Amino acid sequence: MRIPILRNASAKTPSADRSDRNPDLRVGIPRILNQWSTPRFWTAFFEELGVKRRNVVYSSATSDAQQKQYSQGRGAVDCCYPVKCISGHYGELLTGLKKPVDVLFSPKVVSLRSFLGSHVVDCLGCPRVMAGPESARGGFVREGDSFAASGVRYVSPVVNMSEPMLLARQLTKALEPVFPGLSHDETLRAIEMGWREQDDFDAESREVAHEVLERCERESRPAILALGRPYHMDPGIGHEIENELQACGYPVIWGQHLPLDTQLLDRLFGKDIRDGSLASHFDISDVWKSSYSANTNELIWAARFGARHPAIAAAVRFSSYECGMDQPTYTPVQKILEARGTLFFSFQDLDATKPSGSVRIRTETISYYLERHSKRIMDRKRALLSGDAEKVRVLSESDE
Amino acid sequence: MRIAGLDIGSTTVKAVVLQDGVGVWRQYMRHNTRQAETARDLLQAMEDEAGLTPEQDVIALTGSGSGTIAPFLGGAQVQEVVAVSAAVEALHPDVRFVSEIGGEDMKTIFFTPTEAGKAKQVYMQSACSGGTGAFIEKSARKLGISGDELNEMSYDGVTLHKVSAKCGIFAEADANSLLKAGVPKEEIIASLFEAVVQQNLATLTKGNTPLPSVLLLGGPNMFFKGLREAWAHHLAKLWEDKGTELPEQTSATDCIHTPEDALYYACLGCAQIVGREKAEDNLYAGLEKLDWWITEGQIESKAREGRGGLKGSERDLVVFRAAFEQPGVSESAKASGPLFVGCDFGSTTVKAVALSEDGDVEASVYRQSIGNPIEDAKAIFAALREKGVASIRGLGITGYGKDLLKDILGADEPVVETVAHAAGAMHVFPDADAICDVGGCDVKIMLLRQGTVSDFRLNSQCSSGNGAFLQGVAERYGVDLDDYADRAFEAEAMPDLMMGCGVFLQSDIVNQQRKGWKSEEIMAALASVLPLNVWVYAGQFQNLRSIGRKFVLQGGTHRNLAVVKAQVDFIRDKVPGAEVVVHPMSGEAGAFGAALLALQNHTPDQQSNFIGFERVSALEYHTTTNDITTCRWCAVNCKRAFIDVKVPDGRGRPKSKVPVGEGWERVITGNSCSRGLIEDAVEYRDRLAEITEAKNAHPNTAERIREDAFR
Repeated sequence: MRIPILRNASAKTPSADRSDRNPDLRVGIPRILNQWSTPRFWTAFFEELGVKRRNVVYSSATSDAQQKQYSQGRGAVDCCYPVKCISGHYGELLTGLKKPVDVLFSPKVVSLRSFLGSHVVDCLGCPRVMAGPESARGGFVREGDSFAASGVRYVSPVVNMSEPMLLARQLTKALEPVFPGLSHDETLRAIEMGWREQDDFDAESREVAHEVLERCERESRPAILALGRPYHMDPGIGHEIENELQACGYPVIWGQHLPLDTQLLDRLFGKDIRDGSLASHFDISDVWKSSYSANTNELIWAARFGARHPAIAAAVRFSSYECGMDQPTYTPVQKILEARGTLFFSFQDLDATKPSGSVRIRTETISYYLERHSKRIMDRKRALLSGDAEKVRVLSESDE
Repeated sequence: MRIAGLDIGSTTVKAVVLQDGVGVWRQYMRHNTRQAETARDLLQAMEDEAGLTPEQDVIALTGSGSGTIAPFLGGAQVQEVVAVSAAVEALHPDVRFVSEIGGEDMKTIFFTPTEAGKAKQVYMQSACSGGTGAFIEKSARKLGISGDELNEMSYDGVTLHKVSAKCGIFAEADANSLLKAGVPKEEIIASLFEAVVQQNLATLTKGNTPLPSVLLLGGPNMFFKGLREAWAHHLAKLWEDKGTELPEQTSATDCIHTPEDALYYACLGCAQIVGREKAEDNLYAGLEKLDWWITEGQIESKAREGRGGLKGSERDLVVFRAAFEQPGVSESAKASGPLFVGCDFGSTTVKAVALSEDGDVEASVYRQSIGNPIEDAKAIFAALREKGVASIRGLGITGYGKDLLKDILGADEPVVETVAHAAGAMHVFPDADAICDVGGCDVKIMLLRQGTVSDFRLNSQCSSGNGAFLQGVAERYGVDLDDYADRAFEAEAMPDLMMGCGVFLQSDIVNQQRKGWKSEEIMAALASVLPLNVWVYAGQFQNLRSIGRKFVLQGGTHRNLAVVKAQVDFIRDKVPGAEVVVHPMSGEAGAFGAALLALQNHTPDQQSNFIGFERVSALEYHTTTNDITTCRWCAVNCKRAFIDVKVPDGRGRPKSKVPVGEGWERVITGNSCSRGLIEDAVEYRDRLAEITEAKNAHPNTAERIREDAFR
């Protein structure tokens, strides 16, 4: 599914005079937070502005070594661990690259673009995440300007990713000093190219997920739904906990990559739409009224998808230490999944240390229950979906 | 006029006397929690030796213990960081960074010159022993190192090992295992210095760079030569990395100072500050009131501070005892017939339970672990046999030793501990929402949903809340653990102990004892603080209501009724209407669950894989511990032992550097994490190939993001 972006932005294509621009400009982007859901957008965006693709560089994934080496003494004071890690990424981009960058680009993301856009109240980012770049920057300027010392221009605009026209204004203003002569239209076109590439990339992820789910259902094998924020895919933040489940033989589908094709969604939600309990495939208003946060909305929707899809026998929830955005979602997400008997496991309060011992015990635990119960869970979910009340009753009783 | 400065800290009392702004007398004493008495001794000495005169000279107090004592002496009380800063500013105008490490706290102060004078940034931590003096001394005592020796031990040029800097009690455990592994004491102590400096730099700089020049204050910094060397090493490295310019003609070491009177900065500072004020407001009142406090006041105040006893009203206690004092599960006098056995090989204890076909408990065994899984297995099966277990139809096995022993013993049902505990609890309480298992060294909390374990918290990083602590205190009072509850229930009132670090809890106990609290009152208080440590501090649960309403308590520590009473009170207070139950096989619940699973998953014509009692007792093995067996996966370098056990169809380890032929099976022990179970790079490659194969067969959509998205 493609989300409409702009009306004919690419139709007007005045080619800008780029002679004043540095053809070898290098842009560094920290691999943090929501970048985990929009990297291709930014790569293609800058490419469209004339930056060579290989010159758009991301910091490495979060790691202990990175944090130790590059954030020492510059730590942002924040209880959100993913935000705290930004300092390490900044440090790496400023001093850890073989070929230094000219620009460190770290947007303050106010809103995100979401396929749930027109079905929810809003698509805002987390306020902590929004302010994250600012608190990290603090660590690099309090004892002299480290950006200037490394010869790097720091560009950190406030961006509303969900509103293309506003986004174009924000980016044109912030980037004009870097790209002399940058016009609103040129930015708008770059935004379109960015989304085009990001959408294509996401579509492929969703296709992979689609195939896996179909195959699992066909072969009656369980798949696991991973629920978290985009940055939980960062090995230094989510600690690759789901990889251990994968190694036990279970495919893992992330909530961010669920298939969105109409036929499948109709199978999962059609009945509720027909009986009037849901307004559309993407309606979450019955379970999540205050649908302001883009990532939270998608998380809730993914939980609902997982609750219904017969191949998803279990869901694993990740959240970071003291996450205020996640707090109110714990119970609803769990209840949504359990309503149709999907097994639910959670890994909460993740922080800097990978809790290896307890992860091993828990992976074994999940694996044990899946081995014994997944067939019955899948059969029952299938029966629930097809409205086979008798089969549901029998399968529910065998549970006792 | 003389000004006395008195610094009443967590472990020592320090005192100076200034005459016309010049120090004329100084002394410090360890107080061993007798703060008031020690302060009195020092004041007496000041009167006798330095001429301090009541109603004529001035006195100022500072330090964490000054709040209680200042009112009796007449002088002002100055916050200790303010006092230290004042002294530093007066004596060392060029200092930019101060680290003051105390017995139970640590502070850093950053001075930044600005147009409006000096800006100060202060960071302090006093909730955890990691990084404080107590952290070093406690370990040193365990290693049998005297104070004088400790002072002279070096850091420079000594091999370092990894020691947990996070928790003082675990650092002690780390130090112990390093010692057992043959690491010299010098290296252990140097590693402790390293841990302290790292902990200070990691938690107490918060975005500031300690710049020269640097002042190191407080007892540990002053006394421990090695600690100063560790600071010099790390600061020099930091300055080099950051390109910090040092004053000309100086090296990093020249920029780090520990003044001869490093102990007295807080005293000097508070005396200086009070010296600027009107003398009549801070006149030294003499010893009279302090004497009253020592002999009567502090004991009276004890009664006011405390709260009602753990037992509640007599009626409450009767109701509680009636509900929770169970006779335990009755075992048959002598087990007989073919049985289903569950074994739980934990890290410190080994448990076994034998069930009849109907699920009745026929025998149970609970033993301390010897540390060698094969010997543990031999011992536990011998004990089972003594109890009449003669024939085994199904063997379930769980706990840390499960993977090591399942093939060697021929287990039919190897299960992970969470599943075993859940099975054991849900068999007795089918509607349980949570299991709280408090053992000797760890705390496990399992949340149950839909018949499975949906969330699991394991705390073995911080010793707060585990049972070893209760045992230690009971031992100190010479009370048998079995009599703990009876004694604790005798208390009509108890002090409020603080939640959190076990190291500080220890000194808090001594402190409360000093106030006159008796042993049974302290034991009651200790039991009542345990739930807080278990759920909030170790388990990180802020809201117990979200867990559910039926709580199962198990684990050896819940054999103690005082703890159970505290848990019941705590949980019911947080979750109105909660039902709290103790598992009838509290200590053996895991083994009980494993036995149940062996029974449930047994099919009528199934033969057990169990190798038999004879063969267990005759298990032949040899152990190898040398350089080759040392784990090289990380810097900890655990001294592993390879135990090769003779079993008929053992696969051997022909590729190993310590090869062993077919007919032998290898068990690896002595590792502190699961990576150590993989012998070496050769085995790792084989394992990795298996994992890669599994991953290719079962995709993970995040992998595309990790590998492809950022291009």
